[in-house]
Amino acid sequence: MHIWAWGIMLDVHAISVAYGDLQALWEVSLRVQEGEIVVLIGPNGAGKTTLMRAVAGLQPPFRGRILIDGWEAQGQPPHRIVERGVVLVPEGRRLFPGMTVLENLEMGAYGRNPRRLREATLRRVYEIFPVLHERRDQAAGTLSGGQQQMLAIGRALMSLPRLLLLDEPSLGLAPLVVRDIFEVLRQVNAQGVAVLLAEQNAQMALELAQRAYILEQGRVAAEGAAQDMLQADHVRKAYLGQVSPIVEASK
Amino acid sequence: MRAAAIASRIAAYPRAGQALIWAGVIGLLFVAALVPQFTDRRDTINLLFLVYLYVTLAASWNILGGYAGQVNLGHAAFFGIGALTTRTLWAEEGFPFLLAFLAAGLASMAFALVIGVPTFRLRGVYFAIGTLAMAEALRITVGNLLPNLSALPGPIIARYDLEPRYYLALALAICTAATVYALPATRVSLGILAVREDEDAAQASGVNPLTHKLLALALSSLFAGLAGGLFAYYHVSYYPSLPFSTTWTFDPVLATFVGGIGTLAGPIIGAAFFILVRERLAVELVEVHQLIFGVLFIIVVLVLPGGFVEAWSRLTGLLRFRR
Amino acid sequence: MNLEPVVQNLVFGLFVGGLYGIAAVGLSLVFGVMKVLNVAHGSLVMLGGYATYWAFTSYGIDPFLALAITAPLLFLLGLALNLGLFRFVTRLPEDDKIKNSLLISFGLTLVFENLAIRLWTADERAVQTSYSGEGFTVADIVFPYTRMSGLVVALAAILILHVFLTRTYTGKAIRATSQDWEAASLMGIDVQRTYVLAFALGTALAGVAGALVAVGYTVTPAIGLAWTLKALVVVVLAGMGSIMGAFGAGILLGEAEALSVYAFGASYREVVGLVLFILVLLVRPQGLFGRR
Repeated sequence: MHIWAWGIMLDVHAISVAYGDLQALWEVSLRVQEGEIVVLIGPNGAGKTTLMRAVAGLQPPFRGRILIDGWEAQGQPPHRIVERGVVLVPEGRRLFPGMTVLENLEMGAYGRNPRRLREATLRRVYEIFPVLHERRDQAAGTLSGGQQQMLAIGRALMSLPRLLLLDEPSLGLAPLVVRDIFEVLRQVNAQGVAVLLAEQNAQMALELAQRAYILEQGRVAAEGAAQDMLQADHVRKAYLGQVSPIVEASK
Repeated sequence: MRAAAIASRIAAYPRAGQALIWAGVIGLLFVAALVPQFTDRRDTINLLFLVYLYVTLAASWNILGGYAGQVNLGHAAFFGIGALTTRTLWAEEGFPFLLAFLAAGLASMAFALVIGVPTFRLRGVYFAIGTLAMAEALRITVGNLLPNLSALPGPIIARYDLEPRYYLALALAICTAATVYALPATRVSLGILAVREDEDAAQASGVNPLTHKLLALALSSLFAGLAGGLFAYYHVSYYPSLPFSTTWTFDPVLATFVGGIGTLAGPIIGAAFFILVRERLAVELVEVHQLIFGVLFIIVVLVLPGGFVEAWSRLTGLLRFRR
Repeated sequence: MNLEPVVQNLVFGLFVGGLYGIAAVGLSLVFGVMKVLNVAHGSLVMLGGYATYWAFTSYGIDPFLALAITAPLLFLLGLALNLGLFRFVTRLPEDDKIKNSLLISFGLTLVFENLAIRLWTADERAVQTSYSGEGFTVADIVFPYTRMSGLVVALAAILILHVFLTRTYTGKAIRATSQDWEAASLMGIDVQRTYVLAFALGTALAGVAGALVAVGYTVTPAIGLAWTLKALVVVVLAGMGSIMGAFGAGILLGEAEALSVYAFGASYREVVGLVLFILVLLVRPQGLFGRR
């Protein structure tokens, strides 16, 4: 495998996570290197969201380790993990609906460092998402779905992350909007931010990413270069909605 | 064969324990039944009367609060309605006492069922504060409508005897406890427990939450109403709004939690403990008692959700483990 | 018909309503942010009343100036209560959290009430300043100084709270936490610290309300439950967590009580609020608390 010049930013080492008696992840391992885009695909209920929440500190693993730049992150509260430059854009966006767009963005820059630099960051976010500037005094709850997703990403960028975790950002959005969002991720990544993306929209995600993990029933079923995944038979059948020509013909 | 033999020998241990407990209970009841025959001390009889009254109140609260999981902070309303009914029918209208006493239970239950349908739309904590508000509104209204002291008429006072009151209280406490004891064996109680654990899941599996909650409420209010009737039978004079006071809700709640919510023995032990400690401290300052129970209650909620009963089973569990 | 007594009644309703509002705002803040139902809130009002009374009788400090001492004092009490008790329930799932906080604060009500009886006896206390009982008259309508100042203080406290919550970073973090604590934690907000702050603020507001009770009305150890119910009524009317709404609903309740006197007589004043409360709860089964 190709060895990256930069270090490993996120090293998830054999974590197991349970909700009460219900175990959701079994010894899952995953790595994200500096500046990389990694995609996590898998069916509903495979544990993608659980993995994201575990890394963000919302759902601590009962076994295994999570290292952020070598720092032991498992069991730390979410706000400590944000301080280390790892921020999650959660499933369902989770904006503060009663607060304005600007206030939502300000909350993103809550930490000490981001708060100091927030005017500059704000300008950058407005450049990426001009619509947020237009609607800055509007309540977040009144935005359209696509705009809400943009605000959720913009809010995460306000914390000056080095690794952006995104959980199903395309959920419930029109295809054109999804394309815009993916374009933004490419842009953000070009500025040096690593991205870990959980996505059901496997085709687009694999085209965007360098590496991919497939999560099935709480375990890593496969991992590899995104390009290879696009070609792999198993992936094509299960996640890209393509059946092989022979099966097609026999129908 | 061998495994079965061992199993039966192991099973014999708790059975022996149970037999011991039963012997204790029967012995205690026997003593309780004989107390008035051996002593004329009014203070002892009065104290035990209060214990039985509180056992009835706590155990009846526990049916809805412990088994069905509905924290009812309006229990005093049932108690008050029972007292009002008996007092009016018996002391004022001249009906035979027994009739007036049973009417107390029925009136309380009827009221509970009427308000039950709308208030059970409130879930969890909203049910708690809704019932509290309801009972308070009722207390103030009764205080306004009946502002005068209710005293027993002369002829009744002339014939007043503590003994029948003592035995009625004892019988009522036994009836309430026996009902709670018999409850787990019925299908209905399974439904009630299911509703406590997860209302939505219960509904999904064919248990109608409203019906089962209403059943628990009916039983709970029946015994609370009868306890109110007993209160009206016992007290010579009081203001009609007194039995509607929040005390008659809060004291049983405290006793039940401290004793062990959702258990048979919990409210009984809790109520006895509550009254005896209060009696002990009454000599000094009454507020210390409330202070102690406030603190005990907080401790129970925070670290010992099963109260005395859980503490006891943990202790015996620990001993068994040591052996 | 002579409208003068009606207008006078409405004016008193306004004063009392302002007090209801300030008593409810603290409860609303704590529930909105922490999802903790503190039924000891009325007892905290009672303690604020005694603190004011104590400052006045022992040191002759004017009750309104004493706010500079009593509010911080109650703030510290709030910190202690949170760190000592409520911290243990804020990590529970929401339903258990509300239920357990209700039970714990119920125990607290007993503790505070009986502690107050021990410390200050069960007698009624009221602060009698040199200007108590005085006021000015406009067109035969009396405006007592103490109650007027009470309303001004309540309004000022609400305004300060509003500015704090909408203009400062910490205040916005409190609002963010109340809307979605998980998302707030993902922003880098220390949610537990926000809880501590919100609870202490709510307690300080109860202290302010208590001072106004001591000046305009009377304080006894037993008023806790009545004030909790009053505050709950207001908060349910307003919708839980709505700060400015709670103040408006407080004034609404004050006026509703004032007018109810003409419909049902003075002795049913207290019932009006409770019935309103039950009706609102029933029309919206999950209460107006939920955002659903």
